[in-house]
Amino acid sequence: MKLKAVTAILLVASLLAACSGNKSQSENPSESPSNAPSPSASADPVKIEVMQEGSVTSADGPGFPKDDFVKKELNKKLNIDLTMTLEASEFATKINTRMAGGTPPDLMLISKDQIQSYAKNGVLLDLGPYLDKLGDYSEFVGADEVKKGVVAGKQYALPRTNGLEVGTYWIRKDWLDHLKLSPPTTVEELFNVAKAFTENDPDGNGKKDTFGITGNGISTFSPLFGAFGVTPGTTALGGSTESAPVSILKDGKVGNALYDPAMKDALTEVKKFIDAGVVDPEFLSNKGNTAKDKAFQGKFGIIYDGWSGMIKEAAVKVWKEANPNADWAQLAAPKGPNGLQFAGIDDLGPSYNLLALPKTLEKQPEKLNKIIELLNYVSTTEGNRLVDYGLENVHYTASGDTITITEQGKKENGYTFVYQFTGRPELTYLQTKFPDQADYINFEAELPRLPVVDKLVDIPEGYMKADADRFVQEQLTNFMYGKTPIAEYDKFLETLENTFSYKLYTDSVEKTVAELGLEK
Amino acid sequence: MVISNGERATGIIINLILIFVGVISIFPLLFVVSMSLTPYGEVIKNGGFLVIPRSVTFEAYNYLFQTSELPRSMLVSLFTATVGTAINLLLTVLGAFPLSRRGLQGRGIILFLIVFTMLFSGGIVPTYLLVKSLGMLNTVWALIVPSAVATYNLLIMKTFFEGLPEELFESARIDGAGEWTILSRLVIPLSVPSLLTIGLFYAVANWNNFFSAVLYITDPNLNPLQIVVRKLLLTSNSLENVMEVVVPTPTLQMAAVIVASLPVLIVYPFIQKHFTKGVLIGAIKG
Amino acid sequence: MTAWRKNKVYYMMLFPLVAWYILFKYVPMYGVIISFKDYNILAGISGSDWADPWYKYFEMLFKSPYFSQLLTNTLLISCYKLIFGMAPSIILAILLNESRSVRLKRWVQTLSYMPHFLSWVIVYGIAVAFLSETTGLINRWLGDLGYDAISFLSAPEWFRSVLVGTDVWKDLGWGAIIYLAAIAGIDPSLYEAAMMDGAGRLRRMWSITLPGIANVIVLLLILKLGYIMDAGFDQIFIFYNVRVYSVGDIIDTWVYRTGLEQLNFSLAAAVGLFKSVIGMALVLTANKIARRWGGGIW
Repeated sequence: MKLKAVTAILLVASLLAACSGNKSQSENPSESPSNAPSPSASADPVKIEVMQEGSVTSADGPGFPKDDFVKKELNKKLNIDLTMTLEASEFATKINTRMAGGTPPDLMLISKDQIQSYAKNGVLLDLGPYLDKLGDYSEFVGADEVKKGVVAGKQYALPRTNGLEVGTYWIRKDWLDHLKLSPPTTVEELFNVAKAFTENDPDGNGKKDTFGITGNGISTFSPLFGAFGVTPGTTALGGSTESAPVSILKDGKVGNALYDPAMKDALTEVKKFIDAGVVDPEFLSNKGNTAKDKAFQGKFGIIYDGWSGMIKEAAVKVWKEANPNADWAQLAAPKGPNGLQFAGIDDLGPSYNLLALPKTLEKQPEKLNKIIELLNYVSTTEGNRLVDYGLENVHYTASGDTITITEQGKKENGYTFVYQFTGRPELTYLQTKFPDQADYINFEAELPRLPVVDKLVDIPEGYMKADADRFVQEQLTNFMYGKTPIAEYDKFLETLENTFSYKLYTDSVEKTVAELGLEK
Repeated sequence: MVISNGERATGIIINLILIFVGVISIFPLLFVVSMSLTPYGEVIKNGGFLVIPRSVTFEAYNYLFQTSELPRSMLVSLFTATVGTAINLLLTVLGAFPLSRRGLQGRGIILFLIVFTMLFSGGIVPTYLLVKSLGMLNTVWALIVPSAVATYNLLIMKTFFEGLPEELFESARIDGAGEWTILSRLVIPLSVPSLLTIGLFYAVANWNNFFSAVLYITDPNLNPLQIVVRKLLLTSNSLENVMEVVVPTPTLQMAAVIVASLPVLIVYPFIQKHFTKGVLIGAIKG
Repeated sequence: MTAWRKNKVYYMMLFPLVAWYILFKYVPMYGVIISFKDYNILAGISGSDWADPWYKYFEMLFKSPYFSQLLTNTLLISCYKLIFGMAPSIILAILLNESRSVRLKRWVQTLSYMPHFLSWVIVYGIAVAFLSETTGLINRWLGDLGYDAISFLSAPEWFRSVLVGTDVWKDLGWGAIIYLAAIAGIDPSLYEAAMMDGAGRLRRMWSITLPGIANVIVLLLILKLGYIMDAGFDQIFIFYNVRVYSVGDIIDTWVYRTGLEQLNFSLAAAVGLFKSVIGMALVLTANKIARRWGGGIW
């Protein structure tokens, strides 16, 4: 009992000491300049707090490494004192509260929707006047991309370099071989293979316990819709977020997939798959690992997923362990009746969160200049290599444009991506970091995809996007499952326009496309 | 004492029901433990469901304990669960006792105003501004003070106090005891099971509280365990990290649950033994 | 005079609690007004303009084509959870109290307490392992017995049962703790007297244990009625999918999806206020009824 009391007191004491000791460094950086002794201010490193969503693992385990060489290097190079605030869960709540509570971070990486909302609230800095100072950044990202940070006519955000689209059908090569089938190249063949996987005992265990296709959510059928040149919206590969990007840029014109006559054919085709019982009956409720688990268990022979979930060492280890004979291979998008083939969508909107600065920085020119300097630096070849791969000759070696990551680099540079404030040369970066997977990355990057513009569009006032999205998703599901006959498709569009004011949205799409000059 | 056949049969039925409850509770827990100890490929091979761990590996736990933030965050959580709970109980008992006295003037209105706050609140932003103006941002106090009283627990405590035998208090008053004495000498000793229960509720809430930390803490040194654990779970999902992460997400997830909740799980059996039927009342009355 | 003095002592005891409530609950209460304002971060709560019309954000909810469905789902799921959640915990507490096997009692008590600590993500994982249509344990058994697989997780007719079932399972033992504590406060001499009168076990449970914890049951019932508009966001958000929106989409998930795109503080506050008003009305009514029977919070 006594011992407990003593421990408790020690704990209290140590924590009290900890709090008071931390006070100075934990004070919000944006408030500190006023407290700093002004005469020598130019010599003192400028404190900059960067806030973003996510978390890191390093060679020292989860979290930042004890020796954070990227931060050290940036601090030294630019005479700054960088604080990285990462929030893994409830990021939106945290940053909203800080913005509203008057304690914003100095630099934040937030979504397009957040930018739009903050811009409306007037708490973001218009970066338009500073663009000419951001030369290295503009050059790195590309002038066309920079435009995508314009919200309500002002440069409230700076986009990062674009990412690559991922995701395609993966197929059990060993099952194909066992059934003496060749990889399907058309929708028709895909159907036959899926049927054979379901009915002809591809794993040879004598039981009818296998199926054709699985995936997380509506994306499971992305390539099938793609074969008709349309898209039903997407599910993030993790399966948690659904969105309905359907405004496709085709032949220099923007069109809405829901109004495309081919949509009915696509839905009918999907219904054929579902009716034949070759699809995971739960594909719409799969989330996280569920679809992959089922596939790796040997229940499904075809899955829609991206290379990182299927072919990275950790994933391969799991499916090899579960079944040593398994052999998953990528499949190109199947061709439709008119020869179209698209593996999914190519989102023309910014693929990562965007950079934004709080309006309060207007009054702190010194800090603002440092941030500009920082953004420029990580956009230069030297700076970008630092945040991509680590220290030269320690973590990587360079000969011309070719980067080779050293053994030490492989071990230690896993966390550096959080410093890629302006992005990275995506394909080179991934192929350098994942040399063994380079072919798979390339394969998915080069698959044809439908360019969609929805993420660039401002949500118009009076249009309830969440309600409309739900309606679209539900109705498409009903058509796929035959709960609503396809003959009633036009009625669905009518309701969408009348009850859900869909016209407001399509008008806004056209306006955006015109503004950005995307149509030719 | 003679026990009739009917009584015996009832006893057997009761025990059977209890065994059933035990079984439905234990299966999923075995699943969690087994998953955390078995390589994920092995789990998948077994149809995704395991009751007994196979080819045991501690790599998920090793990985978890590598986290440099873990020991510190445990300390923070331990602090909120001990000091925080002490403050919770102090305020709750001091408030619940007078509120349990029917003679208290204004009792109805105070109770109404308290219940009102259960349903109506000003929201996150005004509370954040308050905490900020109190200078509590980025201190452990932000994890404790804004949640110092849970109305739910206060009302339960009050109800328990109302059930105490009034005659005891009256006779104590006749002997000249003041209300403070009655509280400390009679009410508290008589209410050990309820105090432990409410204390447990508070301790568990403090231990599991991560939302206060999300709002008020940006200093990684002051993050409680739940925040660190949540971070770990999300880490392994991101594209970038998979290069280093050797432990698959589900395995890690299960291990994290165990690490994060084990301390509160082991407390319970110690509290349980005080739930013996009316021992204290009997003793004092006798 | 003595009454006043006694009251004075009580007020002294109450002081810290009341001070805390004023500071942390009533001072921030002004935030409620953002339900009636076009909240602007820069202008702050007091500086923001009043919404035009004042019920603009309430209207957003009421005018949603899904409003009546959201309300129905919220109330139904909540009521099911209330009914099927409270009774089993009470029964478990009474049975634990009645069991003569101390060891069994301890084990069951500890084991049934544990699921409370699993997050909904993990419970969903467990649910998939058991209930999945293609790989779930239960459906594999059904298949072996020659029955058709049941789509527990994506069929509208099963969805609410799965929600309520997992919720009951998760908090069965945790919920029982409070009743156990209440039972511990029952005067043992009552049981002795009843035994003398030849009352059997069931009789004693019915006429001593149950009335002995009635005040706690009534209290919890009133409080839970206050939260009737909270059907369990965390759980439903993890469990639901497009196929079960029609039976599983609740007000809170709607606010989340709507807010996700628009970060609308005012809408969230307005919906919160709407839920609170309904909850408060129920609490007031329930408390009035309970007072008639000598219970009630005040």
